[in-house]
Amino acid sequence: MKKLNRTYIMGIVFLVLAVFIVIETGNIPERLVSNEPGPKFFPYISAAGIALFAILSMVFDGPKEVKTGNKPYLDKAGWIRMAIILAEALVFCIMMQFLGFWIASMVGTFVFTWTLKGEKKINVIFAVVFSILLGTICYFGFTRGFLIPLPSGSLWDMLGIEML
Amino acid sequence: MIAAIPEALGIMFQPMNFIMMILCGVIGCILGAIPGLSGGLGITLILPMTFALDTNLSFSMLVAMYVGGVSGSFIAAVLIGIPGSAASIGTCYDGYPMTKNGKAAKALSIGIMGSFIGNFVSCVVAVLCSGAIADVALMLGPWEYFALCLMAITMVVGLSNGSVFKGLLSAFLGLFLSCIGGDLVTNQLRFTFGNTNLYGGINVVVLLMGIFALQQVATAYAKGQQEMPPVDAKSLSGFGLTLKDFTDNMKTIVVSLLIGLFIGFLPGMGSGISNLIAYGQAKRMDKHPEKFGTGYDPGIWATEVSNNAGVGGAMIPMISLGIPGDATTVLLLSAMTIKGLQPGPMFIQTNPTLAAYIYVIMMISSIAIVFIELFTKRWFPLLLKAPYHYLFSAILVICFMGAFSSTTSMFNVYLVLVLGMLGILLDVFGMPSTPLMLAFILGGKIESYFRMGCSYARGDLTSFVTRPISLIFILIAVWSVIGPMIMKLIKSRKAGKNA
Repeated sequence: MKKLNRTYIMGIVFLVLAVFIVIETGNIPERLVSNEPGPKFFPYISAAGIALFAILSMVFDGPKEVKTGNKPYLDKAGWIRMAIILAEALVFCIMMQFLGFWIASMVGTFVFTWTLKGEKKINVIFAVVFSILLGTICYFGFTRGFLIPLPSGSLWDMLGIEML
Repeated sequence: MIAAIPEALGIMFQPMNFIMMILCGVIGCILGAIPGLSGGLGITLILPMTFALDTNLSFSMLVAMYVGGVSGSFIAAVLIGIPGSAASIGTCYDGYPMTKNGKAAKALSIGIMGSFIGNFVSCVVAVLCSGAIADVALMLGPWEYFALCLMAITMVVGLSNGSVFKGLLSAFLGLFLSCIGGDLVTNQLRFTFGNTNLYGGINVVVLLMGIFALQQVATAYAKGQQEMPPVDAKSLSGFGLTLKDFTDNMKTIVVSLLIGLFIGFLPGMGSGISNLIAYGQAKRMDKHPEKFGTGYDPGIWATEVSNNAGVGGAMIPMISLGIPGDATTVLLLSAMTIKGLQPGPMFIQTNPTLAAYIYVIMMISSIAIVFIELFTKRWFPLLLKAPYHYLFSAILVICFMGAFSSTTSMFNVYLVLVLGMLGILLDVFGMPSTPLMLAFILGGKIESYFRMGCSYARGDLTSFVTRPISLIFILIAVWSVIGPMIMKLIKSRKAGKNA
């Protein structure tokens, strides 16, 4: 299978982004203060810059990448690992919103630890204790010690249960 | 003000003031070292406590927290490659590779001494010349500030080891991200898509956590790089640096100090910007620019001296003009207002002892912090002995917590995830993330200064090149992009002729 040139893909992605910025900037209502270029000017400048340097990169850097032969960024197993860690992060965020930071941080720390350990063996009891301690210290340290609010969980609010 | 220094020293050595200064300096250092938290957060937390406290005690705590916060931010950058705050982004480039090379102790020593030199010397300069330097700041208009911001971005593009075009593309992407939210001149909403969470734009802590922290943990795991760097246990005790280390890097130290001081005293600019500019400049003037990014001493000296010099620099406009030099000095300015003080041109005349006291606290707390850091340095690398999976799982959780606490919004927690994916995408495409970060930090300023300049000059764009200082900055900006290309072309032609 022919390898994809990452610089060309990058160029196309950023050209699409530039077009999107131009279209969206056109929808911004004009509110001019005298003698100044207005709120649309810099978005247009950034779109022009993105388009220009995406093209220049494709023209000058693309062929170099073809010559040197681009190594794949990750193998298939690597992409799977990437997807797993990002999916876990997403689930952690959702848990943080619905179950609150305290529960999410304890579960999240344990799951992240389990994932990041890879092939290594770990002491499960230690990992559980570590997760509980980290989540509890962070949650109560912030909410009680520093009086900085952390999410208490919208699910508990809906059910009328008051979390600690 | 200089005459008031002995009296200020006497106040500072009162037991309560001294103990609280040390305590807050240490807490600031710890907060600065944790990615996502900062000395600024510490000041926010203790600000309400200072309402009821004596003015001198309040400033002992607040200023020491500020100094400790900036000083400690290099620790995470050196040991785990994630900056404690924007002030230490540049430190990651050589600090972490040096740790990976088994020289964590040396990287830490450079960070400690660089922080101390930057902080202490900038305070001395601030005491001696705050009046004169403040006058210079007043002479600069939006044209000069715009040109300076432009120069800062283009100089950092020079950091890109690979393609200049990819560096510039990254910078323009950062500029676009800074356009999200209400524009600073007319407050017109842009790219918010009706989402109220985006009205204030993207928070810098959120961007930092996504682009640096999440991206690094995810890519390291995906690439199977789950090993902590080795620790050279023998070199952990003692000073770790020789006199030769200082003399060899003296030029870098002096230039970085001046850059940090200058950037610091410009209103709205801070350590987050100065460390990157100083790194770029150090690389540009070094005989071995190819060594940068591999664990090279001048890379750490440049960033740590300049970001801490920004602390002294930022104090100059705050005390002399009543203008905050960076985000944290806004909080210190609030504390002054709460205490019924009026920072501004008359502050030094009306409150010479307090003005001197603030500088004395900065100097003495930096001395105290350097001793504490040197004595506790041997325990910092214990962090590297922690198993990777425990350390980085904790970092991930703390990063998301930091993103939430910066704005108390769940939206920002999800945004970390999106920006983390953007960071991964940049890494896949081989685009540097530093120009994006700097363009994002400066984007709002560059736009508002440009539009103010246009408005003041009645739409005359030539005003940006007819003012000498502005013209010099613009020429440097242009040269820093096209200069390396021209030099490369000349070199390749010479090589072709010789062949």
